This record gives sequence, structure tokens and C-alpha cells, in this order.
Amino acid sequence: MNKRQSLLFSLIRGGAAIFIALLVTTFLIFISADAPDGASFGAAVSAKLSLTGGALRQLLIGPAFRANGSISVKNLSDILASMIPIIFTGLATCVMFSANQFNLGAEGGVMLGAFTGALAAIYLDLPAGLLAVVCVLIAAASVGVMMLIPAVLKARLGVSEMVNSLMLNYVVMYLIKYLLNTYLADKSKGQIQSYPFRAGAAIPQLVDNGSKLSWGFVVALAFVVITALFMYRTRWGYAIRMIGINQDFAMYSGMKVGGIVILSQVLGGVLAGMGGSIEMLGRYTTFSWGALPGYGWTGITVAILAGNNPAFVPLAAFFMAYLNKGCNLMSTYSGVPAQLIDIIQALIFLFFAAEQFLSRYRQKLVVRNTQAELAAKATPAEGSVK
Amino acid sequence: MLLERIFTTDFFFSVLRITAPILFATLGAVIGEKAGISNIGLEGIMMISALFGSLTAYWSGSWAMGVLLALLIGILVSLLMGFFSFNLKTDIILTGVAVNMIGSGGTLFLVKVITQLTEGSAMASTTSLITKSLQTPSVNIPLLKDIPVLGGILSGHSVLTYLAFLLVFFTWVMLYRTPLGLNIRSVGENPNAAASVGVSVLRIRYIAIGFSGAMAGLGGAYMSMYYAMGWSQDMVAGRGFIALAAQAMGAGEPFGAMLAALVFGLAQALGIKVSSLGADSNLVSPIPYLVTILGLVIFALVARSRTQRRHSAAALASAAGK
Repeated sequence: MNKRQSLLFSLIRGGAAIFIALLVTTFLIFISADAPDGASFGAAVSAKLSLTGGALRQLLIGPAFRANGSISVKNLSDILASMIPIIFTGLATCVMFSANQFNLGAEGGVMLGAFTGALAAIYLDLPAGLLAVVCVLIAAASVGVMMLIPAVLKARLGVSEMVNSLMLNYVVMYLIKYLLNTYLADKSKGQIQSYPFRAGAAIPQLVDNGSKLSWGFVVALAFVVITALFMYRTRWGYAIRMIGINQDFAMYSGMKVGGIVILSQVLGGVLAGMGGSIEMLGRYTTFSWGALPGYGWTGITVAILAGNNPAFVPLAAFFMAYLNKGCNLMSTYSGVPAQLIDIIQALIFLFFAAEQFLSRYRQKLVVRNTQAELAAKATPAEGSVK
Repeated sequence: MLLERIFTTDFFFSVLRITAPILFATLGAVIGEKAGISNIGLEGIMMISALFGSLTAYWSGSWAMGVLLALLIGILVSLLMGFFSFNLKTDIILTGVAVNMIGSGGTLFLVKVITQLTEGSAMASTTSLITKSLQTPSVNIPLLKDIPVLGGILSGHSVLTYLAFLLVFFTWVMLYRTPLGLNIRSVGENPNAAASVGVSVLRIRYIAIGFSGAMAGLGGAYMSMYYAMGWSQDMVAGRGFIALAAQAMGAGEPFGAMLAALVFGLAQALGIKVSSLGADSNLVSPIPYLVTILGLVIFALVARSRTQRRHSAAALASAAGK
């Protein structure tokens, strides 16, 4: 199969995965739509169908267009703004999964990064501009250090990084809640929140329409390029991908596998930490998260959709952010619970990651292609004999 | 005395009560891992089973139906995981992540749709549906309950608690005393070798993941129909993940994993006790998770020094032989 066909196949496969997910979604919306009480069966079905149609419209078209058909700038900038953290967690997951390290700690990493970034933004006295940069760097470093725990334990003792990173998520969450409630909360406020950040720590907004689309978006895109270059154009990136493909081979060809295992997870932590702090400083003015934000899990979906290739992360992040916005609109206007997004996400995820999904079709393509190639070769060969 | 206030009969009773759901999931992890399947979807399966178990108990008015349905849902979800992993070749870890997504957000969607409870935006739960009579019943064991301290600790638990500990034994029997167990272990050890002697690897894997899901299903039923009254968001709170750690610490054996699960139960019970004595719950809640990490590290260190000792003993023996 040549490159163009293989790309075409990936597109068809991705399209089919999304189509199946949307089919199931439609079915779920249809079930959850309320039929008017006492209506006959036919009337109830038709009422449900029209409700389903309206909900689907909100889900699929709502994020981009207003009811009158014009493009909704506010919705689109909302979507771009919500891409910021999941681009970072997506990149983090790409790096870690590329090395076959199933570290699921991006979730806790985002929260820790947001927290340490917020602390720096409250208590450090630095000139504006510089402060924001320092906050993000501190956040990145702190999560990098956190990831040393599962990384070193995996590299030195062979302890499952997956279980450890999952456990760390909970530890981080409770620790932050404890510190916030006990020492850092602004007691003059009704809800549990920190003191406000210094003005100089805020990340400036790109558009001033309340979408919270900050310069963090540009930074996120810059890190997409940096991560892609790192993974495909440097020795370390190559090493990370190699131990992901065949760890034994990498070891016998002289790579220091332990070091690379640690490197990949620490880099993942650094990216997640940046994402958390940029989200915090770009969107909020005080720290008030009381639970894990969920960006880590969405990041895993994003990485799977992008095939662990950093270059495709923005596209995948846009897709997830778009669907998420659609689900929110749908729950506002049609009363379908917004948590439908988790089911859609899981379904798309499952089919995207399924290697054998549509494999028969792929097989047919390969066979047809090879036959065509053989026939093409055979014709000139016959001609030369004559 | 502080220690006397902590280590009461009630405390040890609560250790068993807290261990049981972890133990169910741990047995699920043990059976899965024996067949070479890392089932990280246990957490999600528990959430889904907990929801449908409590709903069925409410609809049918019978706790037994609830438990049965939770069990069936556990099997069904795990077989679906199997379909994606074995037939469509999705990485088993990613399949597990997807099931966990459905377990955390999807269940909330379902509970809102099914019960039409939308008080607040995230407050939907089935806690109002499960009453005392729908809880799995407690059993007083005749002679045992009259023994002073021991009776207070061991008697009066839910039927499911006893089932969890009985299943440890049955799991061991299944794995080591039946042809099916032999096949499961051989598939986990070396699928190619198993296939070469005529074992259907695919079938055995489906059976193993089905067992694994059944255990998680029972764990879910325990959570929503005994441990708590009804289903609420994120109620499983990482027990499915802790089970994976217990499996690793128990070296993948049913009885070892049971001991590890008891350690986690003890840590959690201690945490609850300490926080009831006035400690900050946010400081106490992470204890089971920290114990999990520490436990895994200690286990790995012990395992490593044991293999080192064996290697050096072997080297010495071969040197002496020369």
C-alpha cells in the first residue's frame, strides 16, 4: 500500500469510527428525549424524533453556527480556549505513550501544575510578564518532579507506572485540597478559594469577548511544533520512540532504557504542568479547584486520535473541544445531560485504537493494489520478450 | 489510651467491611492477570454495575435481583472489553481507560436519563432509592457470634462480605485444581504454547475476562447496596485501581492478594477512624493510595533481593561444582 492509500485508509477508518460513535449517540439521545405524556405511540415517536433532531443539531452544528446560519465567533473562540489544556495533556500523553509508558498521571499533573503555578502567582513578587513565565516554569518543574516518582520506580524497580500514576492522582488531589482548605484559603470568601493572583501573573487575552482565549493558545501551538520536532528530529525523541517500538532491541543496541523511560515521563509531566498553570493563569484569578479537572483523560483521547503524533494533536484537540461544546449546548437547550460526551469519547476512542477495525477492508485494498502492481509489471515485461 | 480507642472490635469489623469491595476487584485482577490480561477497567465496571444493581434492586424490590444484575452487567461489560481487545486488537489498557470514562461520566448521564433526577447539575444519584430493606442482608453466624471478641469482628457481616472471602478460596480452586484454571494459567504464561497443544486461546481469554468482570460486578453491587445506600458519582473512588496494586503485591496469587487487600482495608479503616477522632479528612483520605505506592515499592524490593539471592546462590553452587 502506498502512502496516499494508507492515508486514505486512515481517513476512512477514522470517519467510520466517528460515524459509529454518532450513531450510538443518536440512539442514546433518542432514548433520553422526553415524549409528551399520554401521546399515542406514533405521536410519541415522532415527537422524540424531532427532539433528537434538534439535539443533534445543537451537538454537531451548534458550536460553529448560530440559529440564523451565521458563524458564531463566540462559540468558536470558546472552543479554541478550551483546547489549551487538552493540547498540553494530549502532547504529554503522546510523549509518554510513544515510549510505551502507560502513565496516566497527566490528570493529577494538570491539577498540581495549576496549583503550584497559582501559588507562584500569589506569593512571588516579580515584574509583570516575567512573573507569568516564572509561574509556568515553576509549575512545569514541579510536575516534572512529581513524575519522577512513577518514572524512577518503573525504571529501577519495574513497578507499574500505570498503577502508581493513578494513585498519585488521588494523593495530589487530596494534598492540594488539604493545603488549600487549611493554609491558603481566603477566609473572607464564602467558597473555598485562594487569595487572588497578582495582576502581573495573568496571561493576556487574545480576544476580549469573555471566552478566556489567552495567549496560552499560541504557546500551546508553539509547543506542538516543539514537541513534534523533539520527537522526530532529535536523538532523544528517536530513543523515546524506539523503546516504545521494541524495548529489548533498544537495550541491545546500546540505549540506556532506564534513562529514557524516566525522560519520557518527566517530559510528559513538564507538559502537563505547563498546561495546568497556563489554564489556571489564563482563565481564573483565584485557585478554587476542588476535584481533578478531567483534562488528563481527555488528553489520552486526544493522543489516541492523533495516533501519538504531536503534529495531529491540535486537530484532535479541536475535535474533542468542539464535541464538548456541542454537548454543553445540547444539555442547555435540549435537556440531554452533558455527560453524554464521556460515552461519545469512549466510543470514538475504542474504535480509533482498534488495530483490527476494518482490517478486512484494508486487506482487500492491499490485495487489489498488489495485483494492479503485478499486472503493471507483467505488461512491459511481456512486451520486451517480443 | 489512643490505641485502645482506635483498635476496637468495631474497628476490625470495619476493616473487613472496607476490604470486601477491594477484595472482589482484586480477585478480578488476579484472574485477569493469570490469563495475561491487565484489566484496568475494573474501576469502571464497578461503577456501572453499582448503578444498575441499585436500580434493579429498586425496580424489582429485591436485593438478590440487584446483585444478580450487577454480576451480569459486570460480565457483559468485560466481554465487550474482550471483543475490542481480542477481536479488534485495541490495547487492553486503552479499552480499560474507555470503560473507566463510561464509568465516571457515562454513568452520570445514564442515571440522569433513567431516573430523571436532575437536582442541581451533578447531584443525580440513586441514594434515595435504596432503603434498608433493599440492602444486602447481614448474617449472624450461629456459634461464632457468641465468642467474645472474635464474634464481634467476624459475625454480622453482609452476605457479600462472606462471599468475597469465600471466593478467594474458590478462585484458588478454579485456578489450580480445574482444567479451566490450568488453561487460563497456560494462556497467560505462553499463549503460543497453549495454542500449540490445542487450547483455544481466544475462548480462554474471554472466559478469564468474563470472570474478572463478574468479580468487579459483585464489587459494584457491594458498593451501592451495602457499603453505601445507593449509587452516587465517583463512589468507587479508585478501588478498582487499588485492586490492581493488591494483585501485584500478592504476586498474582489469590491468598497473597487477599492479604494485600486486607492491608489496604486496614489503611482505609485507620484513616476513617483517625479522621473521626478529629484529623483533617483531606489529610487522611490519601493514606490508602500512599500505602498502595509504598506497598508496591516494598514488594518490588523484596522480589528483587530474593532473585538476587537466588542468582548468587546458583552461582556459588555452580562454582562449588567445578
